[in-house]
Amino acid sequence: MAYGGEFILRPRSWRRLGRFAGYAVAAALSPSTYTPAAREMAVRQIYFMAWRVLAGYLAFTAVLSVVLIEVVSRAAHTYGVSQYALELVLRVLVLEVIPLMTALFVALRSGSEVGAEVALMRVSGEIEDSEQIGASRLYSELVPRVAAAALSVFALNTLACALASALTYTVFFGFTDAGFEDFTRVVANVYDEMVLVGFLLKCLLFGLAVALIPIATGLEAERGQPRSVPFAVLAGLVKLFFVVGIVAVLSLVVKYV
Amino acid sequence: MAGQPENPKGAETGGFSLLPRSLGVKVGILIGLSIIVAAGFIVYVLYARGTFEQTQRLYLFTDNAEGITVGSDLSFAGFPIGRVRRITLRPDGKVRISVRVAVDDAKWLRETSVFVLDVPLVGAAKLRAFSSNLQDPPLPDRAERPVLRGDTAQEIPKMVASVRSILESLDEMTQSGSSLQQSLNNARAVTERMAGKQGLIGAALGSEDNAHKVLAAIDRANALLGRLDGVALKMDSVLAKTDQRVLSQGGLVDETQKAVAQANAILGDVRASLKRVDGILADAQAVAGNAKAATADLGALRAEVEASLRKVSALVDELNRKWPFSRDTQIKLP
Repeated sequence: MAYGGEFILRPRSWRRLGRFAGYAVAAALSPSTYTPAAREMAVRQIYFMAWRVLAGYLAFTAVLSVVLIEVVSRAAHTYGVSQYALELVLRVLVLEVIPLMTALFVALRSGSEVGAEVALMRVSGEIEDSEQIGASRLYSELVPRVAAAALSVFALNTLACALASALTYTVFFGFTDAGFEDFTRVVANVYDEMVLVGFLLKCLLFGLAVALIPIATGLEAERGQPRSVPFAVLAGLVKLFFVVGIVAVLSLVVKYV
Repeated sequence: MAGQPENPKGAETGGFSLLPRSLGVKVGILIGLSIIVAAGFIVYVLYARGTFEQTQRLYLFTDNAEGITVGSDLSFAGFPIGRVRRITLRPDGKVRISVRVAVDDAKWLRETSVFVLDVPLVGAAKLRAFSSNLQDPPLPDRAERPVLRGDTAQEIPKMVASVRSILESLDEMTQSGSSLQQSLNNARAVTERMAGKQGLIGAALGSEDNAHKVLAAIDRANALLGRLDGVALKMDSVLAKTDQRVLSQGGLVDETQKAVAQANAILGDVRASLKRVDGILADAQAVAGNAKAATADLGALRAEVEASLRKVSALVDELNRKWPFSRDTQIKLP
């Protein structure tokens, strides 16, 4: 952990991360990166990161959502402010909790693994030091992983948010369309233009952080020293949590302060 | 991870051969579904916010827009029909609240509609519209209307001040020695007297002596009234008698009529005498020169005139005697 803390505090590490993020985003956005091999790599990564966990993750989201909705709804009813319960649920659950949870889930399940993989490649010498890294290696090995992680976060996040919204409606109004107008009105109140843009921006940043930080930190493992792998992976996770937390807090600060 | 590509270099060496076809389809479905859901969600939010809806504008003016935020509802009969889009403070210190009302719902707003900003003790402020007559002409686009403010929280200090002054007044009124207390004491004294032996009169006159006097006076007045009754009966009989004496056959009026007839005859005589006097005077003028000759005639005439005057005098005396309106108040009825 101490080693991880060192990674967090080391400016060189952050500079390396920034540089890698710049390369990777630029490469991920350029169509020429996606050679058949790179596409296959990306599809495979998405399959493992998102598809294989989709059912479990959605089930977990559903349980958590129902519990949270019930808690908020009951508490609001107890305090006599039940007219605000729906708005509260949409604001807290859909806008804050689900994106954060998705980011952390993908980071825990896949980030550490991808980070370890990259660190091992670095140790075995498959990837040269990132300072002199060749464009082809970066593109073919790392950029598809970055794009896949970002897309996975996007897919899981979108579906989980949709599921949570649907559950919210069902818990509040039951299996009927009677509450559609009320629900629409609250949605209109909650998601004004700023909130919507902020929400999309936050999801994008979460996706980028989950995609970039474990890989960038994995590159910090030292060639020929397998013992540096766990430290690099741990440092990547800690950094990732740190960044995700910062993004979440910043979005809250911008929205409510 | 177990699912990590079995051969990390597969992508470079094997190309598509290592990638099961179903895997690509699944990932395609996942990504496609996510994109559709995300796009649908954004479209739904835009729909909810009325982006695809035709709206008309309404500008509301108020001194204080506290509690109103962008996105607040304008409700009519409890149903939201519009939404606050912008709140600006104008140079003259008034707040302008821009409200967008869906054209479909604008029918609830009329020229005579009233807008109220209701600030409850708990919860967000609410903008409400009241339309008393839905037959009035509809509210035009970009109409400007004032907002009445119903602020419970603002009313409370005023109410507390009023209540305090009321309580102070009550305190003064209920203090011992206050005028209300004295009034109550007096009222009690009066009611005690009323409950006493002399009852209401005793309460009104203050003491039992006075009450006794009043009762005695009433008794005397009753006796007096009894006697007055007898007097009235006597008066009745006197009047009947008088009636009989004055108006009956041979009564006062009858006699007077006779006397008047006599007087008429006498006056006829007097008139004849005077005519003769006229003639004599004419003669006298004619014979003025021969007065001596006429002296004998004058003497006779004078005797006649004196006789007539005596008759008149006697008649007047007679009249005076019979008629009751002479100065002599002693009337002797026949």
